[in-house]
Amino acid sequence: MDAGLLGALKDRLAWLGARQTVLSRNVANANTPGFKPEDLVPFSPRPLKPGGEGSNELAAAPQAYQTKIMSGPVSLEDEMSKLGEVQLDYQLASTLYVKSLGLLKIAIGRK
Amino acid sequence: MDLARTIAMATAGLKAQTGRMRIAAENLANSESTASKPGADPYRRKVPVFRVASPIDSEKPAVLLAGTKFDRQPFPTRIDPGHPAADASGAVKFPNVDPIIEQADLRDAQRSYEANLNVIAAARRMMSRTIDILRG
Repeated sequence: MDAGLLGALKDRLAWLGARQTVLSRNVANANTPGFKPEDLVPFSPRPLKPGGEGSNELAAAPQAYQTKIMSGPVSLEDEMSKLGEVQLDYQLASTLYVKSLGLLKIAIGRK
Repeated sequence: MDLARTIAMATAGLKAQTGRMRIAAENLANSESTASKPGADPYRRKVPVFRVASPIDSEKPAVLLAGTKFDRQPFPTRIDPGHPAADASGAVKFPNVDPIIEQADLRDAQRSYEANLNVIAAARRMMSRTIDILRG
């Protein structure tokens, strides 16, 4: 099932995981001469598939994430604050995921 | 999985910083290591060289300690005619190691090491949050 809110949250979690990987590579290369840090281009949710009444199917799955090269040498402070941001966003998305699963459970009569 | 690769990358960073600390320690330990023959060269300071090991979508480590190079700065000399390494004019060449620079390098390596540890801790927290969805 890849529809609506749950599908969008899953995309968000996957994107945050990919961003964490990009940031960790920046931190690992913090002392590498000539290394340019990278970041992912901001997350944009998949649009809903244009369909009939009440359709909540998402459009095709996203391709590989786009990275952009940042200027200058790695600043550990910047990377750490971005990592903190990823943590918070991940917590938010996974909590929302649990909550919407809970709604589905209520709907099928289990708590 | 992305988060497992994150941890692998941060581990490569930890290893590179450990190697850098080892070289700084070697330099510090040898900061007074002169030659034992007249006119011969003393210990020459080593410099670690890092290299980006792989593009972002590869499975190989993210960063490597590519090797060590030698510091090309000239050796400072002190006058000590009785020293076994003293040349005809009594000058002894000492290693081109400045302990203060090595200390600063050690601190910098420590800072980068901690940053990589933080990345690992963050990735682990994200993983456990994903597992918490199961418990939800």
